[in-house]
Amino acid sequence: MYIGIDVGGTSTNAVLLDNGLVRDSATVPSSADIITSLLEALDKIMTGVTAELIERVVLSTTLITNLIAEKKYAPVGLILIPGPGLSHEHYQFHTDTLIISGAIDYRGREIMPLSDDEIEKAINNLSAKGYKKVAVVGKFSVRNNKHEQEIVSRIKCLQPDWHVEMGHQVAGQLNFPRRVVSTMLACATRDKYSFFVESVQAALTMRGIKGPVYILKADGGTMLLNKVTGVPIETIFSGPAASTLGVQALIPSGETAVVVDIGGTTTDLALILSGQPLLSSKGAPVYEQLTQVRALAVKSVAVGGDSLVERVDQEILVCPKRLGPPFCMGGPMPTPTDALRVLGLTGVGNAKQAAEAMDILGQPLGISYYEAAQRIINSVINVIVQEIENMFTQWEQEPAYRVWEVLQKRKERPDMVVGVGGGAAGFITQIAAKVGGNPVIPPYAPVANAIGAAVAIPTLQVSLRADTEQGNYIIEQEGYQGKIEKASFTEEDALLLADEWLKKRAEKYGLDNIVGNTEINRRDVFNMVRNWNTTGRIYDISVQTPRGIIGHIGAKDGFSNA
Amino acid sequence: MHKKTGLIFFPAFDWAISPTHPEREERLLYTRDQIFEEGVMDLPQIHEYAPRLASIHDISRTHFCVPQVQSQITEAHLIASGSILQLGDSVVSGEIKNGFAIVRPPGHHAMRVVHGNRGFCNINNEAILVDYLRRRHCIKKIAIVDSDVHHGDGTQDIFFHDPDVLFISFHQDGRTIYPGSGFSNELGGPGAYAKTLNVPLPPGTVDETFMYVVDNLVLPVVNDFQPELIINSAGQDNHYSDPLGSMRFTAGAYADFTKKLKPNLAVLEGGYAIETALPYVNLAIILALADIDYSNVMEPDYWPGKFKESPEKTAQVHRTVEQLLETWTNKEHADLHKLFGSGKYYQRKKFIYYDTDYIEEIQLEQVRRCDECPGYIAIASRANRGNPAPVSIYAITIPLQACQTCQSEAYDIYEQVKKRQEYDYVYMQDKFTDTCRTYAKSKEQEWVTEG
Repeated sequence: MYIGIDVGGTSTNAVLLDNGLVRDSATVPSSADIITSLLEALDKIMTGVTAELIERVVLSTTLITNLIAEKKYAPVGLILIPGPGLSHEHYQFHTDTLIISGAIDYRGREIMPLSDDEIEKAINNLSAKGYKKVAVVGKFSVRNNKHEQEIVSRIKCLQPDWHVEMGHQVAGQLNFPRRVVSTMLACATRDKYSFFVESVQAALTMRGIKGPVYILKADGGTMLLNKVTGVPIETIFSGPAASTLGVQALIPSGETAVVVDIGGTTTDLALILSGQPLLSSKGAPVYEQLTQVRALAVKSVAVGGDSLVERVDQEILVCPKRLGPPFCMGGPMPTPTDALRVLGLTGVGNAKQAAEAMDILGQPLGISYYEAAQRIINSVINVIVQEIENMFTQWEQEPAYRVWEVLQKRKERPDMVVGVGGGAAGFITQIAAKVGGNPVIPPYAPVANAIGAAVAIPTLQVSLRADTEQGNYIIEQEGYQGKIEKASFTEEDALLLADEWLKKRAEKYGLDNIVGNTEINRRDVFNMVRNWNTTGRIYDISVQTPRGIIGHIGAKDGFSNA
Repeated sequence: MHKKTGLIFFPAFDWAISPTHPEREERLLYTRDQIFEEGVMDLPQIHEYAPRLASIHDISRTHFCVPQVQSQITEAHLIASGSILQLGDSVVSGEIKNGFAIVRPPGHHAMRVVHGNRGFCNINNEAILVDYLRRRHCIKKIAIVDSDVHHGDGTQDIFFHDPDVLFISFHQDGRTIYPGSGFSNELGGPGAYAKTLNVPLPPGTVDETFMYVVDNLVLPVVNDFQPELIINSAGQDNHYSDPLGSMRFTAGAYADFTKKLKPNLAVLEGGYAIETALPYVNLAIILALADIDYSNVMEPDYWPGKFKESPEKTAQVHRTVEQLLETWTNKEHADLHKLFGSGKYYQRKKFIYYDTDYIEEIQLEQVRRCDECPGYIAIASRANRGNPAPVSIYAITIPLQACQTCQSEAYDIYEQVKKRQEYDYVYMQDKFTDTCRTYAKSKEQEWVTEG
């Protein structure tokens, strides 16, 4: 049996899957210590089931994302080595930022050495301001981490108790500003993440669960919980991935669907294209900060059941903020939920109060409370439908850098519009009608995120960049720099090396069993010609284990491939 | 919110002319690294567009590809051209303030008739854009400024008789570099006199002299012409580290030039210092277009004052500028009869060499001198590629601005030439009705495409 748990800011959802069916589910309020709510949820779903039967547990959480949103983390100082390029004025990260001279180029060559004097000054400066957490990030450090290493070894010497993160270890892709943000967030949230891991382990030990425990990553894959301390940011923003995977498990395979998760203040939209959740081509944005976290493409729209609705002159506007619960549930101002109540699209709250809320808006305009409600619902629906259209267009308009990528571009529109989350029921039929798909509210929609966690499987990637002219290679995900040993290093050798690293990573993360059939998702070869002679090759190769889920809920023969 | 700068980055990582050709997969690799690492695509002033494919008709509207478009291009060409059309659409619709197509393969050596690849080019992206914008968006006057180290002879050839396209090219002196043309006496045909201006620069020309040409010739002439749209053929091989050129321009100077010219569209052409120039020049041009400070962009081995130029060279360029400015200023008073004769047609004989494909073409181009319109152009061309046998074609193009007389005359000629069965292929490119016809002698068959 599999357990999936989603630890959210207000509630914790849990499900117990038994041979492809949902045996039980529970929703309990989240407690501050996490453990209490975990135990409560576990006890509810495990009634009559012994701990030995639990083969594995997968968790997802939005707790740490919420901390970032509320800026509840210790300040992180920045030491940056941007070198020439964009003006340094661009590097505004709302924290003390010290810029050190020095530069590495796109092939990892040092083009300007570091200044020891500046390093020491920077460390003293941050120390004087009381920083204990520091992120060190250099431009092109993913091609050569020498400068980051040098600065960190100096810090270790002068301030041995500081918690330091280096850019090349957090985010291996090119994009210096995103690497800065990712490294800063990794540094800021590591303690909180450890606290979460410890609480989960304590709760599971108390209930005698001994099966492996995984955590969901933002890209919909999982990692073993006790092995992820090195790469926490991949696992931090997993909330939206959980509901998307849940929907993927709750609808038939191969469908193209939009997932519409309508909550109190926000609506999260995700796409499932021919059965596979769409990955974001760039990293995840986290509260307006752009990161390099590999994630599913999820669009957050600032509208939900509790959004404030106001009248401005002759218009009724749905505002992107929440002042409290809906009017019909004792809140201060009218909300879309009140409108749903008036139209009979939801049963929550008090009908009379809902009508009163609509009258507040409608009377000055000389329209009935019923018409006011309709206007509100229409405007909520229009916003969501527009964003769904934008998501599809954006996907079609995604840049392509190879001829084959441009030629394989296709157009797709959803067969299904799947509603999950508290507010979905009242809106989904009308949204589906406008988008042109079938409205679906799957069974267990309220716990879709826990189901998504339960069905997620481990995934691993390795991106190798080998430069035979310089005789070196890097492994993006590990921040590793190595020497090419072979004299004539071919494309075949590069693929073998990438595969070897995938196995090595799998071992490191306790996932040896998943490396069977690997997929190649990038295979670029660049002939290097200098002065009319071929002087080497650059191989840019990316391999991964297949993405997917263990199975669909209610499939005829259970989770056959699990 | 200010309008954004649109970018299409299409490095064609899976396309090369041949594995060791300068036009190979590696060309924009380090440019990719630099602009991605800088986070350029995330800047609020930048919008990255996806490339799109140009249609075969978009190409037929501009070129006579022999025997047909499909035999002269690959998919990569359609994507490079299509990307420029995409940015053209977005600029004209007002979605973006300007755009930069960092795409390959390039195009400015491709002439109206295309028998093969010359100077790494098969089809002329800027020319295809001009004909497309005129058709789709009714834009008439366009200025093209070519800043590649090589003379933009393809673009010049296509617009030589077009009074509504101003073409200015500054480049390394044709006596010292491919394609061996672009001298200051090449000034356009009788109907478009001085709408083609060439500034040959001596090898070793530095930033200051580059800026002198820009400030004293390019900007005043472009301003005077009052184009609806300015296109920059942004070749980057004037850079001091380019292996094919011998000039000494820097990334900073390319950015200064961009900032001054304010092109609506910049299109990458040549530039083969793929490590030492392109990452910096492309970044600097992007920032200049987007009005972002580019003063911190510099080549690792450059310091101000690194290059000096002899005063004689500087003086020589100053004289060329002075002479061209005079030609421009007095163009209305030029004695066209003295310059071009006074027949019904003005004709030029051209010998064209296709360096990539080893083809020799002999062309006789005749333009109808008309008081009502720029006149139709008729071209007889014969290309010798050694083996197989030479191909001969006859091609007529009717401009969008054509008068009735020119239109009917052109069609009469087309029908007559078809009947004579003298040429392997006969083409009619009617920009007025946006219809292109190809007649193949061997099959006695005609194909028509319409826009």
